[in-house]
Amino acid sequence: MVTLSINGRKVELEAPVTILEAARKNGIDIPTLCHHPALELWGGCRMCLVEVEKMPRLQTACTVRVADGMAVHTETPRVVAARKAILEFFLINHPLECPTCDKAGLCALQDLTVKYGAVAGRFEEGKRVFPEVVDDPVIVRNMKRCIMCTRCVRMCDGVQGASAIGVIDRGAGSHIEPFSGGRYNCEYCGNCLTVCPVGAVMSKLHRYTYRPWQMEKTVKTICSFCGVGCTLRLEVRDESIKRVSAEYGDGVNNGLLCGRGRFGYEYADSPERLKTPLIKRDGRLERATWDEALGYAAERLLEIKKSGGGAAIGGIAGGRTTNEEIYLFQKFLRAGLGTNNIDSIARLGLLPAQKILEGVFGQGAAANLISGIPHSEAVLVVASDPTKLNPVMGLEVRAAARAGRKVITIGHVDGLKRHRTHRLEAKTGPGQETLIMAGLLGELLKVKPLTGENPGLEDAIRQWEKTLPGPDEVEKAAGVAASLISATAADLKEVSTSSIIAGRELASSMDMRTNMLLLAALGYILNSRIFLISEHPNEQGLIEMGCSPDMLPGERPLEVSTFREKYEQAWGAGINPEAGLTLMEMIEQAGASIKALYVLGEDPAFNLPARGRVKEALGRLDFLVVQDIFMTETAAMADVVFPALCWSEKDGTYTNLEKRIQKLKKALVKEGIEDWRILAEIGKRAGLPARYRNVSDIFREIAQVSPIHAGLSFESIEEGGLLWPYKGKPLVYSATPYSAAQSSSVSTAAGGLYGPWAEAAWSGAPQAQNGLKLVLDKPLLHSDTLSTHSGALMDLMGGPEARLCPETGSKLGIADGDAVKVSTEQGHISLKARLESGLPEDALFISNNFRGAGAFELFGYQLEPESKTPVLTAQNLKVERL
Amino acid sequence: MSEPGMVVEGPLAGLEEIKKQYPTERAALMPALHAAQREFGWLSHEALAAVASRLNLPEATVRSTASFYSMFQGKSTGRHAVRICTNVACMVLGAEGLLAVLNGLYGLAPGQTSPDGRFSLEVMECIGACDKGPSMLVNEDLHTDLSAEKIIEVLETYE
Amino acid sequence: MTGVKVKYLLGNIDNPNSADIEEYEKAGGYQALGKALSMESAMVIEEVKKSGLRGRGGAGFPTGMKWMFADRDPKFPKYIVCNADEGEPGTFKDRIILEKNPHVLIEGMAIAAHALKAEHGYIYLRGEYPAAKKVLETAINQAQRRGCLKFPLHIHQGAGAYICGEETALIDSLGGKRGQPRLKPPFPVSEGLFGKPTVVNNVETFANLPFIIKNGAEEYLKIGNPECPGNKLFPVSGHVERPGVFELPMGTTLREIIYEHAGGVKGGLALKAVIPGGISTPVLPPDKIDCPMDFVSVPKWGSMLGSGAVIVFAEGTCLVKVAWRSLKFFERESCGKCTPCREGTGWLRAILERIENGQGREGDIGLLEDVAGNIAGNTFCPLGDGAASVALNFIRHFRSEFEGHIKTDCRKMAVGP
Repeated sequence: MVTLSINGRKVELEAPVTILEAARKNGIDIPTLCHHPALELWGGCRMCLVEVEKMPRLQTACTVRVADGMAVHTETPRVVAARKAILEFFLINHPLECPTCDKAGLCALQDLTVKYGAVAGRFEEGKRVFPEVVDDPVIVRNMKRCIMCTRCVRMCDGVQGASAIGVIDRGAGSHIEPFSGGRYNCEYCGNCLTVCPVGAVMSKLHRYTYRPWQMEKTVKTICSFCGVGCTLRLEVRDESIKRVSAEYGDGVNNGLLCGRGRFGYEYADSPERLKTPLIKRDGRLERATWDEALGYAAERLLEIKKSGGGAAIGGIAGGRTTNEEIYLFQKFLRAGLGTNNIDSIARLGLLPAQKILEGVFGQGAAANLISGIPHSEAVLVVASDPTKLNPVMGLEVRAAARAGRKVITIGHVDGLKRHRTHRLEAKTGPGQETLIMAGLLGELLKVKPLTGENPGLEDAIRQWEKTLPGPDEVEKAAGVAASLISATAADLKEVSTSSIIAGRELASSMDMRTNMLLLAALGYILNSRIFLISEHPNEQGLIEMGCSPDMLPGERPLEVSTFREKYEQAWGAGINPEAGLTLMEMIEQAGASIKALYVLGEDPAFNLPARGRVKEALGRLDFLVVQDIFMTETAAMADVVFPALCWSEKDGTYTNLEKRIQKLKKALVKEGIEDWRILAEIGKRAGLPARYRNVSDIFREIAQVSPIHAGLSFESIEEGGLLWPYKGKPLVYSATPYSAAQSSSVSTAAGGLYGPWAEAAWSGAPQAQNGLKLVLDKPLLHSDTLSTHSGALMDLMGGPEARLCPETGSKLGIADGDAVKVSTEQGHISLKARLESGLPEDALFISNNFRGAGAFELFGYQLEPESKTPVLTAQNLKVERL
Repeated sequence: MSEPGMVVEGPLAGLEEIKKQYPTERAALMPALHAAQREFGWLSHEALAAVASRLNLPEATVRSTASFYSMFQGKSTGRHAVRICTNVACMVLGAEGLLAVLNGLYGLAPGQTSPDGRFSLEVMECIGACDKGPSMLVNEDLHTDLSAEKIIEVLETYE
Repeated sequence: MTGVKVKYLLGNIDNPNSADIEEYEKAGGYQALGKALSMESAMVIEEVKKSGLRGRGGAGFPTGMKWMFADRDPKFPKYIVCNADEGEPGTFKDRIILEKNPHVLIEGMAIAAHALKAEHGYIYLRGEYPAAKKVLETAINQAQRRGCLKFPLHIHQGAGAYICGEETALIDSLGGKRGQPRLKPPFPVSEGLFGKPTVVNNVETFANLPFIIKNGAEEYLKIGNPECPGNKLFPVSGHVERPGVFELPMGTTLREIIYEHAGGVKGGLALKAVIPGGISTPVLPPDKIDCPMDFVSVPKWGSMLGSGAVIVFAEGTCLVKVAWRSLKFFERESCGKCTPCREGTGWLRAILERIENGQGREGDIGLLEDVAGNIAGNTFCPLGDGAASVALNFIRHFRSEFEGHIKTDCRKMAVGP
């Protein structure tokens, strides 16, 4: 206990914090400029000087810790004079461009000058001049206005971990620049903009088009790009988003954002947005009224149901739809149309990966708090780059590295190249990560004793151990030095808590099962929180809301009749007990057993491998309904298109990768009908009663029927969201057979999705293939094709690139920027080559974001037999310079 | 950091030895910048990028650090670096007059390189030879007790 | 005043081979190290504490105390760092040790390493001393070959930044960063180089150790002022007949230094002003030269001992110009971290520049005082305070000269005699 006085007031504190913290906790404001709670202490601006009795000099409140008996005075004449003096020092070289500065109204320097009074201009020499730098597409830098608080630099270095900017020169000549001195070559998180107290670094988007005080509203909502579920503030004027920001303390992201989240919002205002329903007449999509379109779609679907049965109809959902929409979607398909042919993009990896882990550890096995990552003693990142796919989660890995934790990457993880302790990466290709994980597990088992906590699991691991490849074998097959694997294991020997982050790549593999069980075994032995990368904001919701052929909402297995009966009762309709077709099966059956598809917020014609075949298949359908915000490739083939509203225009909930349910809030009123209403309306036409007035009503129904959501209400979701386990009952996988008495458990033998652990045998070392391999690239600044409708993101990365390392480039006679033709047995595309050092020599990276040159023109697939996950293949890869 | 495939040949290969003197790669930055300045002549973006890559450091960090120190040259220099002290002790002994001599004779201005690329001139703060001022460093050689005649005599020995 | 007169820092420098280890050993060098190694580490620290040795870098902090703090910190490894970033204008004392008597430094560091159980040592050598680097490299090699150095000792070359003489800035610079002062606490003795306990001592401080260990603290206390014992190097420059470095007991008066050792003011001119400890220390007028030069006495006479670098100005010197050049130095060397120093030093320089250029205005002296007053006490580290006090003290002692300057352009006046 520390007792002190501030301005004569007695203040008691549990722990010795800084004077600033002590004052703020007690409602006493001390002005600051360089201080920011998220950043390393600096103590440079000197604004927070206060008087402390018995100390001759004024003290900086932001750095000095309180001590028992201290007497602090925060606004004495001496303090005020010092602050005025500091402000005068700032202003002698400040350009005073407030009338034309976008920061005016939000500027800390301006506010403090108002508070302490302007000073007469006693400085008569020329002011320091730096030219404004506008050559970057999204960030404007004006160093005349900079007050050298270095918050941007400390953000970029100490939080973002990108270290893309630095203070150049020293003294009065100090200024902040990226390496180039001009354009930024950075991750474009824009977190520097958030912390700049003045107008020195600002967004170029909507520059000079508004004044901060002219904003009509600021709406806190959730980002629409990935599964982290960052909290955003949408600043709105004239029914258009003028700025996206986040403040310290906001959401899982604690005020941090990535480039997609901060600068990618412009798609909402894209003139290409669909505005009216469309019906295909004589091969052309023509405008229709809502009534026409809804009636026509319902009529055709019911006709097909009548002639071919519900099994002739299928539904595919995307990961940007809300829980309420997905729930209604699967209800419409199951109860209205009598089909279980329901699946989503979660099939591409997250769903099967999660189910295997849950088979081992129970439901919610991968529901862990992102904020816990830096507190783990070690972080293992496997096969995916969280800094690109879930950037704000990636920051926590970097934070762990800064805190001195061990960070180990397995496979190619570019974004942690300066943060990792060990890099286990050599060849590219199927099975490489499997081998390395197996080798690491074997070495760990040699040095790290098992705890005995889960004897069944340990038996299985011990059985397995005998077949694991030794480090030498791994070195031979995967090219990672045996000594490095042993050294990594030795480094992990003492670890008592850790985090493992793995992505879709592990599941999208013929070794999926082995991969996930290896991950589980590593997770067990290292006492890990496991995180599965989720590339869409509500991919988790797709799983929880029953958007899969064998699961009902609440992740209850369809095959268990007691679960089914509950839903049948609630929905007033029978449910087919047979599991439906999975995503790729539906496509493969299009035109055969599948006659009609309803696609909600997804673009299978572009976003699935073997794109040529997918398009052909979709073309064979009798009827295709698409609900989307843009005229996607799939929408262009549809018989009916419903224009959807986008994330900023509707209410609802998203569930992030931690299984945290968060509220999406309507920030703008746009012409159109909210997606849930479209689904409710079409359901009504298929005979489903729809008594929903709003999303809260839908959520209430979910809480009534889904055991894991039981007891929740839309209104009860506070800021920060609802965390797993929600109030309801998780499903327990148990070794005993399912009985009616255990309504929330299911035996793994009877109903576990992928069978018992014991069946997971090590299948032997996959052999690395020689030659160049095609790798699906996932750029930091794009997400599907959605981001290509955002001007700023297109300015930063405007077209497809084939990335390869300079060595491979020179072997192939390809220089940076060359136009190349890339072909496989699936097809070919032309695009620009980008040579980047640090890439594996045997890999060619192409993303699937840009129409006309998506990687899925080149990738074929094979179905993993158990999960029916499409595993990408690329035969006969050729790269030629054009 | 165990990063396989680190290059040990090519520019700045000598850094591998220097790195051993420090527990972190970051700490080897200043000696690396000295080495790069010797090897590249001055710290161009290319030189800074080479240092960054050798030490696995962010390029912006390397540039920021280099720019802090006045003896790291951020622009191309002449064949010989002339560093003349004009701080108080040398000033009161006439150092400023020498600047005029250099300007007249070689077209040298502080912070500039002579048109013939022979000399670059930098005005230094104290170089620790105050007892024999005015003084200057030419490359690594200290010259003291300079006068208008002596400075010319000394500089003429540098081609 | 002063008792024993010995020279243990520069006693051998007239020997052309003074930097050679054989010559050094011949004169009794490395015997102190032998003695130290036969002592318990704690006893060495105790002896240094008893000796009353104060750091010669400028602040005069008791060396034994610093060591004790570092010794008490349980973290290992511990580092010892020699601050050879001698940048205080007017100072060239450490250069003489580095170039002429490097082994006294190395021996001192070896003693310190033993006392502190330090595993690594670095000498942060200013970039402006390339010649010293060569001498040191040879000397370190020699000492290593002789087995006198039982720990790795490396030279880290600075690159032109005065602020790196401040020990936390030096530590950051040694870590490969911009050399800006760090927040304290934590102090370097607990979280210094690479986050480990670190003792940073000046060249001259280390060089005092062999004498203390060899002869004992009691002998050492007999030299100079008992509150501030030992010999001090006084580099003297400016308008004197015999500029150079003088090894004299602490407490020797400024008058004795200038008139006896440095041969008096050049050409027999009158003394106009003297800076007693490098340009960061307040200038003194001629009536203050009876000031004894040690850490305790100089403050009583209105200045500071600093580095002990005495700069002498004869009559005829334009002190406005000296003040201007001093502030230009601070402006150029301000690291830019804190606002008052970054913005204020340049402002002071600008005002002095216009006065010096004959464009001074009524009120400029008041403005100088006001701006300097706004810097003083409000900066992150002592550099800004130094700048402010330099300006304030020139005005304080020579106000009429400043006033005269505002009325009359003196640019055509000769600088110096």
